[in-house]
Amino acid sequence: MGMTLELSRLRKAYRQFDFGPMDLTVEEEVLAVLGPSGSGKTTLLSLIAGSTSPDSGSIQLDGRELVGLPLQDRHVGMVFQEGALFPHMTARENIAYAATASDRVDELATLFELEDVLDRKPPTLSGGERQRVALARTLATDPDVLLLDEPLSSLDAPIRKRLRDELHSLFESLEIPVLYVTHDQRTATALGDQIAIVRDGDLEQVGSPSTVLTRPTNRFVARFTGNENLFDGTVIDRTADGTTVQLSDIQCRTTASDIHTSTVTVCIHPSRVEIEAPYIADGDRTANTVTGTVARWLNEGSEYRIDIEIEAGSFTLTANVRPPTFERLALENGSEVQVLIPQDSIHLIPGRD
Amino acid sequence: MATGSHSNRSGTDTFGFDWLSVALVLGGVLLLYYVVPMVSLFLSVPAGEILAQMINPTVVDSATTSLLSASISTVIATLFGLPLAYWLARTNGAVTKIVLAVVVLPLVLPPTVGGIVLLTVFGPSSPLGEAAIAAGFPLTRSLAGVVLAQTFVASPFVVVTAKAAFEGVDQTLEYASRSLGKSRWTTARNVTLPLAGPGILAGITLAFARAIGEFGATMMLAYYPRTMPVQIWVAFIELGLDNAYPVAILLVLIAAAALLILNTVASNPWE
Repeated sequence: MGMTLELSRLRKAYRQFDFGPMDLTVEEEVLAVLGPSGSGKTTLLSLIAGSTSPDSGSIQLDGRELVGLPLQDRHVGMVFQEGALFPHMTARENIAYAATASDRVDELATLFELEDVLDRKPPTLSGGERQRVALARTLATDPDVLLLDEPLSSLDAPIRKRLRDELHSLFESLEIPVLYVTHDQRTATALGDQIAIVRDGDLEQVGSPSTVLTRPTNRFVARFTGNENLFDGTVIDRTADGTTVQLSDIQCRTTASDIHTSTVTVCIHPSRVEIEAPYIADGDRTANTVTGTVARWLNEGSEYRIDIEIEAGSFTLTANVRPPTFERLALENGSEVQVLIPQDSIHLIPGRD
Repeated sequence: MATGSHSNRSGTDTFGFDWLSVALVLGGVLLLYYVVPMVSLFLSVPAGEILAQMINPTVVDSATTSLLSASISTVIATLFGLPLAYWLARTNGAVTKIVLAVVVLPLVLPPTVGGIVLLTVFGPSSPLGEAAIAAGFPLTRSLAGVVLAQTFVASPFVVVTAKAAFEGVDQTLEYASRSLGKSRWTTARNVTLPLAGPGILAGITLAFARAIGEFGATMMLAYYPRTMPVQIWVAFIELGLDNAYPVAILLVLIAAAALLILNTVASNPWE
């Protein structure tokens, strides 16, 4: 028997912002809700938690209607952005306040490695410790759904990474729907079994991280998930196993075959663009191959971001390149390169919006 | 909630040296104006004589009346004021503004006018007043009258100060508590009230200090039993200034105690 959270036609109108109507189903999985600030992510959580009531629509949890129920009767666990720990209580008192059984406190303290800080008050805890206490406190109630509102956003990078890993394994052990709100694409793809992209109170796309990343349904989703290469294209040939698109002065071949409009947006994720030294033909022979020159590059730590001016196309393509490749090719501004774009890395979005 | 002290930047940056000196002199004059009469009061009468007068029955009676009535008024103000303060802190809109204005009205209304307003409702010739007299529980010239007058002028302090204290409690904490399965009442008792506690105590202290010093409205509603401020007036009129000193000194001491509370356990709303 799986716990299922089901929103249908959920609406809430504000003076300058309309949320929904939204339909969304979350099984026993982690749904990462990704969107820019002001897109309605927090509204979504507060509607489910019950701190805001919708104008219309329903929220069903395992067949039980939540709309109309007061906050305290919903069995919905919420982890707030800054933890929302009670500042006048120690960490232990915070967890014990929520715990249904007294041995849960020590159990959760062990799980979240909080034994040493249990008798300290929240203001003396580090950001990471605070969020661990907040998680422990919420889980102490054995909620039927877990909601998290950007719990990592105020943490420093190393702690954020570590806690993200911990959350990943925690979520795997939970057998309830989890909604994780974030504006950070990396956190969303790392933690989400599914990703929901929201904009202006509406769902733009829901799907697995790889689908949302490589097969965005519109330009907004594409840009928000880091697909910087978006170009206007025209379909010139269509067969059962792929499509040929005119992109500026070049033609490229893609395996996409479900596009039925003649004008398209060509979408190529920078991480899917491969770079080679000029005139060395190895690798995927079916890949689209063009030549270009490095216009500028940026060292982003784990990868290099390179803008390449495509010779035949008079457009600029962005590629993410791993440091070994960058160093092997001894790239610098003006370097001539060969750009390979595998056929299945070219995604087409209908229309040009 | 204590708001924490903000460290002021040196005034010399903005005002320049001369302006600061002028400000210091002007401020100093005002400070002296506060302190000198206080010291003068305590020096006016020999300490032994004050102590002797303190056990004078009229002084003891008035102190008893004042302490009792101010305590009752403060309890009433707290009981009715805290829910209103919480409501004001958690709602926004035109209605909230109007209600707040109504609450502040007794603060800006001259106390004697307050007394007149109350007399129209509780006075011996009003229906309510008549009924109360018939029931043997007169609402004027009685302890009840004193309490009515004091509550009218003092309770806004509880509402206004506690409202600010409740506003200082992050509403997210209340949501957090309730999402943990706790009722509104459990949340109020364990989260809101403890966090707003110092501010609420400040409101209660201010209300008590105001109630015990109430004179204008009390004079209109209940000349008897005499409270300390009324006793000061009577002593001054009938026996001269010297005879008003002991009760005045008592009131100064009570005021000082209130200040002490404001600056220790409570959170001083003006800090």
